[in-house]
Amino acid sequence: MTQVSCRDPNLVMRLARLGSIHQSRLSFMRILTRRMAREGWRFEQTEFNIDDTGVGHAVYTAFGPERAYSLIAYAHDLPAEKRSDRVIAEAWDATFTLFDGIPTADDIERLSHNIPVQEAGRVSGSELSVSRANRSVRLWEHVVSALASGGQPDAAQLDAVGYLMRTTAVYGSGKLGAADREMIAGRPEFRVPFQVEMLSVYLTRWFVRDLVQYMADCRAQASGKTAATLAPELARSLGIGNSTGLGMAPFLLNHPVLFSNWVAAREVALQRVRGVETASAKEIAIFQDIFARNTRSVANWHSEHPVQLEKLAALHADVDMIAAKLADEGLADRYPWESLYQWSAQALTVEGQEWLVSLLLEPYGHLVDDLAEAMSADNTATFRIAGAMTVARLREVLQDVYGWALATDWALPANKARAWYVSEEKLEPRLGERFEEPIEEYEQPLAPGRDATQLFAALAHWPDETPIAEFLLRHPEHRHSVRRAQIANRAPYAEIRDNTISQDVLPIDMLRCKLAFFGAMHFDPRSDRWVRICMYGNAPYPEELSLRDGDFWVYPDVGPDATRDAAPNAGEG
Amino acid sequence: MSHSLNEIEAMSKRAARGAGLAWGLAEEAAKGTRWLSAFSFPGTEMLAGLLALNDRLPAVDFSPSTLNGNWSAPAGRMSPLIAGAAMSDCAVRMEQGQVIEMENVSFPLLVVPFAGGAALRLGVPVSVSWEGAKLTTDGQRLCVQGKREAILVSHAARLSCAAPAEMTGQSEPVMRAEVDESAWQELGEFAHRTYAPATESSRLLGAGAGLSDND
Repeated sequence: MTQVSCRDPNLVMRLARLGSIHQSRLSFMRILTRRMAREGWRFEQTEFNIDDTGVGHAVYTAFGPERAYSLIAYAHDLPAEKRSDRVIAEAWDATFTLFDGIPTADDIERLSHNIPVQEAGRVSGSELSVSRANRSVRLWEHVVSALASGGQPDAAQLDAVGYLMRTTAVYGSGKLGAADREMIAGRPEFRVPFQVEMLSVYLTRWFVRDLVQYMADCRAQASGKTAATLAPELARSLGIGNSTGLGMAPFLLNHPVLFSNWVAAREVALQRVRGVETASAKEIAIFQDIFARNTRSVANWHSEHPVQLEKLAALHADVDMIAAKLADEGLADRYPWESLYQWSAQALTVEGQEWLVSLLLEPYGHLVDDLAEAMSADNTATFRIAGAMTVARLREVLQDVYGWALATDWALPANKARAWYVSEEKLEPRLGERFEEPIEEYEQPLAPGRDATQLFAALAHWPDETPIAEFLLRHPEHRHSVRRAQIANRAPYAEIRDNTISQDVLPIDMLRCKLAFFGAMHFDPRSDRWVRICMYGNAPYPEELSLRDGDFWVYPDVGPDATRDAAPNAGEG
Repeated sequence: MSHSLNEIEAMSKRAARGAGLAWGLAEEAAKGTRWLSAFSFPGTEMLAGLLALNDRLPAVDFSPSTLNGNWSAPAGRMSPLIAGAAMSDCAVRMEQGQVIEMENVSFPLLVVPFAGGAALRLGVPVSVSWEGAKLTTDGQRLCVQGKREAILVSHAARLSCAAPAEMTGQSEPVMRAEVDESAWQELGEFAHRTYAPATESSRLLGAGAGLSDND
């Protein structure tokens, strides 16, 4: 029992499981807030130049140990008919850039011509990200009018939406001319992936709170009144939404080494915790506290999408079962987490199993937090093909990594019903029906399983000992598949071991997986290829970061009203 | 205009695909163009020139006929991407002291990034030389010998790749690149071929939430 190994990629890398992953200690948002709290980052609103129609700009600066970063926010007056979360939108309620340092007036002026038009603009190496956000129309108006009339917004309405604005794209890594990741990846604060984007969103949440307050103040003033100040606990309950389409799905397929490192960090963390022989009283107390708080968080998770409703019902039942198991049997004296994990793998749905995996890591920051540093990737070494590998060895690798694909009948239309393509409209990534739309000639290489099967067939009549370099000279069309197979051979969690073009594929599984690594919660699919989520809900605002918990904020405090929400689902009532 | 290296890589991959290269070679073209751009060479101009030269022609015509002896292509000119990729795939041969000789290579500078990959694999510097030019790299840094005109030629009658080579007077990569506007536009035209035309049904079905965003 002492030998716990990492979970098999054939178990982990299925879409249904990847689409059931939850945020954890190793999520990029929490890694950032832990660092900022630990290092005592200082924050300052340095400019707020917005008129009473809500148009203007503001600057928020975060001061780290060595460097400062500034969010420059441009606020706009957006007509309702132009409000779209799609990539093809051309105007937004607010637009942002994270600036490397403190911008001058010239920088703000230069960027004012570029950031508000997003993809139609150009930025420079001084800008680290470009993003935009739209209001939640109903909640925005509710909060402004409640505050302007001297009252507080209704907590239930805040809970139901979760955010005042949702970002619809956060571009980093050199997009639109911004700084390449390589320019900043050596800085300690940006070694972990997506820290630029997460910092940008964290500061955006602060700006949005200030903006809604300012708009309420303006409205109250216009009728000679004074607006109420948004209560801190209500403000804290609000996060920043995100509305995400298909763009994230190709990302996971196009960055196999990086993706493997993310999943491996989580899997190694689980392995370490399962290997804990005895849990201390403190560790058990943290587990139980977070279990109760997370149970409440599940109760606040709303969706109208049938797939998600089913998963939520299953999760509620799973949480009940965990609670009953803990109440009836308690934790085992030896290897308590391994024992609980093994039970869960038999007793719970995949959604519940992955929920528990994230929970198990919570008491063990000292065992797992160092894995964050291993989540980035340098692709240079893995990109090159090892041409000396023999045909026989490549066949073995293909059988190991793509066993599921080799067993799939790719002649069946249902198994390749979809095709991924890029539209000429703002290069929006889309998914179409291969047999119904004229898209196949534009297909992107996002079906590694099918392509690997074709490679396997093409190798069939080649001698075992032939170096793969000889094969590739004749068959450059298989080069991308050979590369992927060699990468997956070295990085166990690099490949999604599932069909990404079947008629049943749910792209939201891929979106959710990536968003969970960011730290997103409360996934709310709007279709099979679109999901809304919430980020930083319940997080301390910058001015509270040193006073409140920079780590466990994800889970709502179990206050006096907590039992009201939690009891029916937690089975503790 | 100043571009990020990621932009150059993304554009080059799409352009190479648009000009008919297999995805795996398009990936090589993209990494190579990025690499040259990081050393302040006009990688995008060279790639645009190559794509125009061999636009949608069969790759096999510009591939080495065999990996034995001197490499030459049936069509009388060799693609630096295909030959470079093959050279990188065969990097272990250079470890054993073999010099890889190629004949009639188009845009020879586009071979050099593959020497970078080979050097990383072998752990020793690899040199690429043709008339009047010798470039040596350990994968991280580049040592350039020769006049700019010789380095940027559009055709080399003979080209040699060898390891281990000696690094002298190295230059480090930079993180931004100045890109020639007309080359960028040419690449953009190749890339555009990979984008599906906009149609109403694609707009509605291909990506949407299917619900209003004004809620």
